[in-house]
Amino acid sequence: MLFVNKNLKLLSFLAFLLVLAAFAMVLFYAPIELNMGIVQKVFYFHVSAAWIGMLAFLVAAVCGILYLNKKQLKYDFIAFSAVEIGLLFTAIANFSGMIWAKPIWNTWWTWDPRLTTMTIMAFTYIGYLLLRRGVDNPEKRARFGSVYAIIGFASVPLTFFSSRLLRTIHPTIFGADTGDMAMIPAMYQTMAVSIIAFTVLFAALLWHRSLLAARESELEILRAQTEVLEFGEVLDD
Amino acid sequence: MKDWLHSVRTLVWKDLLQEWRSKDMLTAMFAFAILTLFIFNYAIELSPVNRAEIASGIIWVVIVFAGTLGLNRSFIAEQDQGCFDALVMAVPDVSAIYFGKMLTNWLVMLFVSVLILPIYSLLYNQSLFNAGFILVLVLGAWCYSAAGTLIAGMTVQTRMRDLLLPILLFPILMPVNMAVVKAAGGILAGAPLMDVQAWLVFLAAYGIIVTTVSIMVFEYVIRE
Repeated sequence: MLFVNKNLKLLSFLAFLLVLAAFAMVLFYAPIELNMGIVQKVFYFHVSAAWIGMLAFLVAAVCGILYLNKKQLKYDFIAFSAVEIGLLFTAIANFSGMIWAKPIWNTWWTWDPRLTTMTIMAFTYIGYLLLRRGVDNPEKRARFGSVYAIIGFASVPLTFFSSRLLRTIHPTIFGADTGDMAMIPAMYQTMAVSIIAFTVLFAALLWHRSLLAARESELEILRAQTEVLEFGEVLDD
Repeated sequence: MKDWLHSVRTLVWKDLLQEWRSKDMLTAMFAFAILTLFIFNYAIELSPVNRAEIASGIIWVVIVFAGTLGLNRSFIAEQDQGCFDALVMAVPDVSAIYFGKMLTNWLVMLFVSVLILPIYSLLYNQSLFNAGFILVLVLGAWCYSAAGTLIAGMTVQTRMRDLLLPILLFPILMPVNMAVVKAAGGILAGAPLMDVQAWLVFLAAYGIIVTTVSIMVFEYVIRE
């Protein structure tokens, strides 16, 4: 199952190096944007964090489907860990976005589709964590978590689409005919390295957190067993 | 398929009859809806000028809040009496349970809307009896009960129960809220149905997607 090995250590070290490299590139390699100035540099980590937020929730939904099909708790450990990490990165994306928005849009917050979608997504997954806390039986907890991760993930694109039907002022960098921000190669390279670094970091964190989740589950079972020894019965649920 | 339809019909009939005999939930939902309306009246100054634009939002919030009360109750009887297993055994497929409960919740929500609309029209001297507006409410209530029934089936089995339902449900329903308020607001402001067509299509799409996903996963919510 899940265990610590050489690969995990290697991956953690690689993540460390890559994040360091990305950080150095943002500081020294990427140029200062003409109109926005130094604050534009928050953008590299902002986009990377937002990407990890979404990737994490995709992982949770996929692991939810896998769990419901195979009933192996390891998928639940991964899904739960992904949600926790995803929430952290969504928060990073939101707050770094605010730091950028204050000087550029002259407001910390605006009701823009991407901002609202990210925040509603975060609330969906806060709900996920609360739901899990409300269930004591590990098997039922895994089942409910999987179901909610799937339905939650289905609603994320719908939220985005519906708020897109209203208008957006968020800059579109990729996949737009006219970019709001003209990017030169040095910026693209920094962006790419940041995204790769964050993805590797995510993989390493996910692995560590899933291991921890597995340990927690073992501890839970041990506790239940001692209760049986002490009191002779276990209360269901 | 015939069995399945029969089970759904029986389930809906059972729930509605149970509700009709006690009228606990309907009374509570109705009173709650009226009280929420009064809160809005004093919280937001409803002058005749802005009333038309805000009406759609207020009506929807009132219905959603009252609907949440109803959703919370929708599995309580089975949970408290321990009849979940019996229910699962009684139907050809568990999706029938989901469908039956969803239809019941939908009907109850529509029933509350039917009570609220004339009262609002009376209190504010603004007729809400507009085919387009009612269509939006019907679609919105469907989306609402589609997602709500699935989540209520889970929350009723947790420790926090009714506390948890809105926390889990509202983020998932956010697109529905946006679509309903936009579409209904447009219609009340006098826009033709064509103008809000995109929102109506969106609501229908949401309903279909969520109902389909729910049917697929409901089995895991209810079966041990």
